[in-house]
Amino acid sequence: MLHTVIAAASGDTVKAGKAIALALGIGLGSLGAGIGIGNIFGSMIQSVARQPELRGELQGIQWLGFALTEAVVFYGLIGGLLAYVLV
Amino acid sequence: MRARLLVVALAVLAFPSAAFARGEFDPSKEFEQHPWLGIHLGPLDLSITKAVVYLLIGAGLTMLMGITLMRVKVPGRRQAVGEMIYEVAQTQVAEQGLPHKAISRWFPYVATLMLFIWTVNMLGFIPLPLSGETYHHVPVWGIYAATSSISVTLALALLTFVFTHYEGIRWNGPVKYFRSWIPDVPKAILPLIVPLEILGQFMRLISLSIRLFANMLAGHMLILTFIGLMFVLENVYLAVIVVPAATAFYIFEVIIVVSIQAFIFAALSAIYIGSAIEPEH
Repeated sequence: MLHTVIAAASGDTVKAGKAIALALGIGLGSLGAGIGIGNIFGSMIQSVARQPELRGELQGIQWLGFALTEAVVFYGLIGGLLAYVLV
Repeated sequence: MRARLLVVALAVLAFPSAAFARGEFDPSKEFEQHPWLGIHLGPLDLSITKAVVYLLIGAGLTMLMGITLMRVKVPGRRQAVGEMIYEVAQTQVAEQGLPHKAISRWFPYVATLMLFIWTVNMLGFIPLPLSGETYHHVPVWGIYAATSSISVTLALALLTFVFTHYEGIRWNGPVKYFRSWIPDVPKAILPLIVPLEILGQFMRLISLSIRLFANMLAGHMLILTFIGLMFVLENVYLAVIVVPAATAFYIFEVIIVVSIQAFIFAALSAIYIGSAIEPEH
């Protein structure tokens, strides 16, 4: 246990900090997108339950919304990776 | 399914190959481009790399798919599949975004985009001996998608970007088209809004390319990283956990992400071109 702590303290803390920042950034980004995607599919289920005949029309909009929301994670990922590599 | 996974896991445990001794593992190395056949035209670098080969195979397969599925003499199951693809391209992509008068002109473009991106994405999840590495003179089989390179997706997005403004100017005239970018707001905040609108046009280019690129890159990275955990931690018995996890991500990518991204790219292209032909203002 003590060895691990000593190794951690004397190791490359800059690299460790960058790794933690990258992981935290992507994690928080996914949190927001997760909520958004949940909202989209929740609303889809509700609207299809109310008006099943609109399913075909709604499906296109649903996937569009899904992809637009999901892309937000990847902006975070790209930004995080850029910061990790460049800084 | 579970039995097959178990067999794979046991096979990996039974034959720990020499590759386990590699030690350093970096998943980003799989995405580096090395020229196989150098072609330099002045400042232009047109070398044949891994991505170019994948694109060429993808283009060939797309044409083959079109010929075998759409040009059927006797109606059968092949024609049914072809009609299903056509119907998705017609009702879900073209009619959602394009105005009625422009469908006959731009349907071929958006349908081709959808088929081509789907094929290239799908090709990225089929192991091919094109990784460029050899192991005892035998080519190493690997998965790589041409769409996980930003140059490919940016080129596709640039096509849509150019067509959007070309069609906007062609149908509306340059003055009316560029005026349609300016929304109806009080004159005082116009200097704030106009740069944002112009920036928004370029953000479309970035978002369209980054979405496809990052989706495919992240999908491959996830699979590679999970498999790579065995090499990083130098523990063969991790295969029991990481191989099923990587397989699950693989199935998720193949079933959902590949088709969704192809559909979204085509649908957004249709919407952008349609909105330029018929501006709201």
